[in-house]
Amino acid sequence: MIDRLVGLICILLGGGAIWHAQTLHVPFAADPVGPRLFPTIIGAVLALGGCILAIRPGRVELEFGAWPRALAVLVSSLIYPLLLLPLGFILATALLCFAASLAFHARPLPAAVSAIATALVFFVLLDKLLDLPLPRGPLGI
Amino acid sequence: MDAFSALLAGFQVALTPLNLTVAFAGVALGTAIGALPGIGPINAVALLLPLCFALKLPPETALILLAGLYYGSGYGGRISSILLNIPGDPGLVMTTLDGYPLAKAGRGAAALAISGIGSFVGGTSAVILMTFLAVPLARLALSFGPADYVALMVLSFALLGTMGEGKAVKTWIAVALGLLLAMVGIDGGSGVERFTFGSLELLGGIDFTSLTIGLFAVAEILVLAEGMLSGVISRTGDGVRLTLKEVMFCVPAMLRATGIGFFLGVLPGTGASVASAMAYTAEKRVSDKGSFGKGDMRGLAAPETADNAAQTGSMVPMLALGIPGSGTTAVMLGAFLMYSITPGPLLFTQRPEVAWGLIASMYIGNLMLLVLNLPLVGLFARLLLIPAWILYPGILALSYAGVYAVSNSAFELIITTAIGILAYALRKVGIPLIPVLLAFVLARLLEDNFRRALSLSDGGYEILFSTPTSIILWALALLAIAWPLVGQLQRSRAPAPSEI
Repeated sequence: MIDRLVGLICILLGGGAIWHAQTLHVPFAADPVGPRLFPTIIGAVLALGGCILAIRPGRVELEFGAWPRALAVLVSSLIYPLLLLPLGFILATALLCFAASLAFHARPLPAAVSAIATALVFFVLLDKLLDLPLPRGPLGI
Repeated sequence: MDAFSALLAGFQVALTPLNLTVAFAGVALGTAIGALPGIGPINAVALLLPLCFALKLPPETALILLAGLYYGSGYGGRISSILLNIPGDPGLVMTTLDGYPLAKAGRGAAALAISGIGSFVGGTSAVILMTFLAVPLARLALSFGPADYVALMVLSFALLGTMGEGKAVKTWIAVALGLLLAMVGIDGGSGVERFTFGSLELLGGIDFTSLTIGLFAVAEILVLAEGMLSGVISRTGDGVRLTLKEVMFCVPAMLRATGIGFFLGVLPGTGASVASAMAYTAEKRVSDKGSFGKGDMRGLAAPETADNAAQTGSMVPMLALGIPGSGTTAVMLGAFLMYSITPGPLLFTQRPEVAWGLIASMYIGNLMLLVLNLPLVGLFARLLLIPAWILYPGILALSYAGVYAVSNSAFELIITTAIGILAYALRKVGIPLIPVLLAFVLARLLEDNFRRALSLSDGGYEILFSTPTSIILWALALLAIAWPLVGQLQRSRAPAPSEI
C-alpha cells in the first residue's frame, strides 16, 4: 500500500519534471541537446520507477517511534532560522538546544543548563577561535 | 614519476606541521564521532565539511582532514557496535554479531583490541594497494571520452541498485531524485533557469553542504528523537587480555577480508556495508565450526578489516576516475568540487600535492589511529556515557552552525531542514539515501559528458555506444540491472520459500 502511494508520487514527480523541462524557453542553442533533454530523461526514469513500484509493490511497514518528539525537534528546527538573526546565535541556539533536549527526555533544568552551555561553547569555538562570524544578537553578543 | 618518488613527495606535503596537526585532529575526531552511537562516517564527514570550507583551508589540508575523519570513524564505529550493540552505520552491523557477545562475556577489551588491529591491517594494506593501483587506473581513464564517462556513471548507479541496500527499483528512484535535486538552478550550458520556480535563492542551486547535512545529520537526529535505538553499555571488562596467539589466529581471516574489502571498495557504487557483510559471510563459510555469532574473534576481525579496507578502497575510484565508490567518498568528491578541483585522471599530474599528500597522510593517519585505538580506547568508550539529551541537540546545533558559516544565510537553514524532512520520509518508506547523494554529486559531470558526447555527434545517440570501452561498460551496466530480475524469475519459478 505504502509502496503504491510512493510509486504514484514518483509518477507525478517524474511527469512534473518532464512537463517543466518542456516549458523551458531556450534563447539560443549552444549545443544540439540543450537544457531540456537531460531532465526529461530523469523524469522518465523516475516515472518508470514509480510505475514498477506501483504495479509490483513490496511490503513496507511504516514504523514510528515516539513521533511527537521528532516533530518537536522538527518544529524547533524550522523556527530556528527565523530567530537566528533577530536574537543572535547564542540565544537562538540555546532555545533550539533546549527544545531538542526536552525532546530527548531531559528534565527542564538540566536541559536549560546544557542548552546554554552548548550555545556558548559553539559560539566561542566557531566565532572566536575559528574566526567564522556568527550572527550577533541585539546585545552584540 | 614512479609511485615511490611520488609518494615521497606526498610525504613532504603530509609531514608539514599544519597537515600533521590536521591529520591528527581528523583521525581523533573521526574516532570520537564514529564512537557516538547512531553517528557513522558519513555524518562525521558531513558535519565537518562546511567548517572545513568556511575556514578556507588549502585543498590538500581540507582533504587530509576529511579523509582522516572518514577512516578514523571506521575505527571508532566499532566501539558502539561492540559495547552497545548499536551499529553507527550499515557497514558496522556485522561487527555487532560477534563483537557484542564477546563484550557480554566480559572480553570487551580484547574485542576492541582485535578489531582495532583488524582495522589497522585493513586500512594500511588498502593504502599500500592504493599507492600502486591509483595511477595505472587513472592512466586507463585518460583515454576515456565523454561517452565512456556516461556509461561508467550509469554502471555505478546500476551496481548501486544491485549491490546496495534496498530494492533495485527504489535505488533507481533515489538516483533520479538526486539527479533532479541537482538540476535546480541555472544550467551552465545555456544559462536557462531550471526548477527554480521563480525563487532567487534557488538560482545558485541547492548547496552541497546543505544537502549532506540535511540528508545525514538532520534526518538522523529526527530518527534518533523517535527513540528507535537504545542499548545498555557493557563494561569493557577486565577479562582476559588479548593474547598474541589469538591475534595470530585471526591473521588469515584479516588477509582474506582485506582482499574482499579492497576489491568491493574499488567497485564504484558498492561501499563498506557490502564489503563487511561479504567478508563475514565468506569467513563464516571458510572457518565456522559453530562458534560464529557467539563471540568468535575471527567473526569480529573479518568485517572490521574489510570495513576499513573498503573505505580506503572506495577512495581509489574517487581519486583516479572522479567516480566515488561510496556515500562518504561522494561527500569528499563534493569537497573537491567546492575547491574547483576535478578528481580524475589528471589529478595525479596536475595537482600531485593534493593526490599524493592525501595518500601519504593516510599512512600516517593509520599509524596514529593504531596508537589512539589500542591504549586509549577506554577514553573513547567514555563518550558513550554522554547522555543523549546533551549529545544530539549539540550535533543539531553544530549542523546548523556549519551550514550558516558556509552560506551566511538563514534561508539556507530552511532548505537544509526541508531536505532533512525529505530524507526522513525516504528512510521511512525504504528509499536509500546514499544513491541520492551520489547522484547529486555526479549529476553535473553526467549531464556535461552526455551533452558533450551528443555535441560531437551533432545529436546522434549512436555516439554513446561508439567506443569499445563504452560498449563494455554499457554491457556490464545492463548485466547489473538484469541480475536482480534473473534472481526474481528463479525465485518465482522455484516453490515459494517460507517468508522470513
